[in-house]
Amino acid sequence: MIKLQNVNKIYTINKNNTITALKNINLEIKQGELIILKGASGSGKSTILSLLAALSKPTTGEVIVDNKKLSKLPDNFAALYRRENIGFIFQKYNLITNLSVKENILLPLIPQNLEDKILEDKLNLVINRFNISHKKDILVRNLSGGEQQRVAIARAMVNDPKIIIADEPTANLDEKLSSDFCNVLKELKKLNKTIIVATHDPIFFNLDFVDKIIDINNGSLS
Amino acid sequence: MILNTEVLTIFILNILFLFFASIAFYLSIKIYLKWDINSTTTTQYTLEKQSVLTATIIKYIFALKLPLFLFFIFTLDNLSNLITGAMCAAGVVDATPYGTYLFILKILNIYIFGFWLVLHNLDTKDETLKYTKIKFGLFIFIFLFLLAEIILESIMFNAIDISKMVSCCGVIYSSTSTSLISYIFTLSNTTIILIFYGNFILLYIFYILKKQYLFSLFNLFFLIVSIISLIAFFGTYIYELPTHHCPFCYLQRDYYYVGYFIYILLFTGTFNGLLVGFLNTNNKNYFKSSLLFNTLFVLLVSFYPIFYYMKNGVWL
Amino acid sequence: MLKNKINLHLIQFAINSILRQKSKNTFIVIIFIILTFLLSSVFFITNSIKYELNLTVNSLPQILVQKVKAGKSYDIDISMIDDILAIDGVSNASSRVWGYYYFKNLDAYFTIMGLDMYEIQYKNTLSNIINNFDLEKTSQTQTMVVGAGVKRLLEKGYYLGNYFNFIKPNGTIKKMDIIGTFDSSTNLESNDLIIMSKQNARDIFLINENKATDIVVSVKNPEEISTISQKIQTLYPNTKIITNDDIKLSYETIFNYKSGIFLTLFIICLFTFFIIIYDKVSGLTGDEKKEIGILKAIGWTSDDILKEKFYEGFIVSFIAYIIGIIFALVFVYIFQAPLLRDIFEGYSTLKTTFELPFIIDFQTLALVFFLSVPIYIAATIIPSWRVATLEADEVLR
Repeated sequence: MIKLQNVNKIYTINKNNTITALKNINLEIKQGELIILKGASGSGKSTILSLLAALSKPTTGEVIVDNKKLSKLPDNFAALYRRENIGFIFQKYNLITNLSVKENILLPLIPQNLEDKILEDKLNLVINRFNISHKKDILVRNLSGGEQQRVAIARAMVNDPKIIIADEPTANLDEKLSSDFCNVLKELKKLNKTIIVATHDPIFFNLDFVDKIIDINNGSLS
Repeated sequence: MILNTEVLTIFILNILFLFFASIAFYLSIKIYLKWDINSTTTTQYTLEKQSVLTATIIKYIFALKLPLFLFFIFTLDNLSNLITGAMCAAGVVDATPYGTYLFILKILNIYIFGFWLVLHNLDTKDETLKYTKIKFGLFIFIFLFLLAEIILESIMFNAIDISKMVSCCGVIYSSTSTSLISYIFTLSNTTIILIFYGNFILLYIFYILKKQYLFSLFNLFFLIVSIISLIAFFGTYIYELPTHHCPFCYLQRDYYYVGYFIYILLFTGTFNGLLVGFLNTNNKNYFKSSLLFNTLFVLLVSFYPIFYYMKNGVWL
Repeated sequence: MLKNKINLHLIQFAINSILRQKSKNTFIVIIFIILTFLLSSVFFITNSIKYELNLTVNSLPQILVQKVKAGKSYDIDISMIDDILAIDGVSNASSRVWGYYYFKNLDAYFTIMGLDMYEIQYKNTLSNIINNFDLEKTSQTQTMVVGAGVKRLLEKGYYLGNYFNFIKPNGTIKKMDIIGTFDSSTNLESNDLIIMSKQNARDIFLINENKATDIVVSVKNPEEISTISQKIQTLYPNTKIITNDDIKLSYETIFNYKSGIFLTLFIICLFTFFIIIYDKVSGLTGDEKKEIGILKAIGWTSDDILKEKFYEGFIVSFIAYIIGIIFALVFVYIFQAPLLRDIFEGYSTLKTTFELPFIIDFQTLALVFFLSVPIYIAATIIPSWRVATLEADEVLR
């Protein structure tokens, strides 16, 4: 259960220059819901996602996930929270291009000091589900856009997070791949994951398994 | 003045420590004064980042202090070759009025730094970071201790005059010595053994009864009692000589460096034991760890008199 | 306690990271290797020379009695020997006739030692020489036995025949024939030594029959050396008495002094090193920042990143440390440390041809370690911290 209460986010560029990214946002998302955040670039979608993933803190207001106040978390604990609960699929994938597919996917697990067997299991689970096991040892920079996206999704899923956040996931994909992605979302919804997608791609607006579409414009919700 | 390579190395590292510890000191003051976990200002976020730096510096200093202490003892041992009359580190320590104090201060500092690190570990596991302010306030004092140690060390090495005769450990650690040490020898061997083993058994009893404060306190006693027993009784069996009491000589190669083992076991055991009294969480691990190391220590030192008796049929 | 803390995967990632940033790391590694190489070479050289010197010192007389006049050593009366022999604990006392002969053409000094066959020698090498060569002849004739280094030098000075013309202090010439060449157990010894009968030596240096250069005393129990030398001093207050230990101590002091100067200069190197490393590690490219941002975004804590950076630093510095030591070993013991060892030797031209004995001890390795790896790690503390506390949000925008 995710709640944003009276959230404002203001970026200070310098003393006289500030940008208000979010104005007085109030939002509630229930567990297992698939939410689409609809809005143009610069409308504040990415900022909301960033707050939900505890990647940044609100200037005022609260971000509460399962009764836990994210904004009070010190840096290290925010990272731990992300590690355990969030699977983030970035717009530009943000993979480490000089590492292989396998290494990228396992990245979130490295600090946890798990046994090799467990790592192997977790890896195989996601790598098979998202169909990139045949490219396991290939460097990411040698993959196509679609393949890179599948790696990004696999990495986001390797820790089996409760909440999945995707930022403009179909921006660089063609029709077929975009449709594939929607199928992935459908599967994830069946697993009772809470999913938040920020996008202005119309393909999402007509999906039947979407619970809510929220419009965001200039930092405020309509 | 000694321009010995080992001493110079210690100096260089001390300067390094001083430099970084001063940064940590400055930051600790800032954090202690301004820390407010509930604040959302940039100042607080900067402080949080700086607390990571301070903790890293302190970890670095501590991680180096341990091997450096062993190196320090080794250096003292080597210096004994240069100073007339000194046969082992004891002579070097005694060469200046600062030696003994420096030694005790160094050991004390290792304990204190160790405590700080344990506190730090607890702190980082807590989401509200409730120990942070105390932790850094504590460091402000620790820094002063560190400063004292470095200054004292510099003074001591500076003051060593190789042409001045020093007493060898046979004289220092005997009943004819004029210092406090001579009092140790007024006790009979039986008394010492009783107190030593008695203290040890008490530790086990307190563990079973789960009396954490008593356990901790008696660990402190055990540390003192052990050192006295080593000097008065066990040492003689390691050397197989009833008049050789020196606590430094068995750090040398001739005795297979057993001194290092003895002291490491004792210090680790009592350190963990002392922790038990200060912390309320995760006590069990420290209890067990303390008992383990203390037991190993007791076994190791007891081995020598028993072995001697078995070999020779008599006590010294 | 520590069992959980060693994360093999993190270490693997660190190694991988190091390999991915080859250019930056190669530069650091090279500088570091040079540093440890220099440092260990100097330590190895001094250790070896010290060892050689100690061997020599041990073969020196236990007690040396010299007569001193106006601060300079003078010919000593042989009659003192009887009094010294009477002291309890003295096993032998004999006179030595020896001196330095300056060969102007080659700017070299020979040591001339007068030996008589029937006397007990205080040094094994000298006894060996007496046994191996027929010095009987030398007492009657003007013949001598020379060390290998002398032979070489004489050949250089165009003395190709087996003889040499000594010029006595009064200007006259004394021709001596060479009847043999020897080597000795310590290289520092044989190089400039010439052995002849005491009579010939006295003649070359114009020393009187009842005088000698100095008196060497051997003592039955080495522990009593200082007591006996005090007794001799009381007997003859205007002599200078040098014991074995005095010499050892003065060598040790000189070495400490020279090493100390070297180290003090070295501190400047260390400081520069520190700055270079700090600078290099600080400079983060956009890509590197992005990578850290990604790691944080997927759940790495600042502590995890710090730990990884520490592993990187430690692995790089430790490997460079080992390589530096290996290079130093090769340089000093296989190539015999050209250039560098002259700084520490400072003897005349003749004495530089000995071979450095292979000495390696834990203490030297520890010294080099403490003077290099912790400095490197220290230099990386602040840069690593800056990296680890980057805001993921800002970097990924």
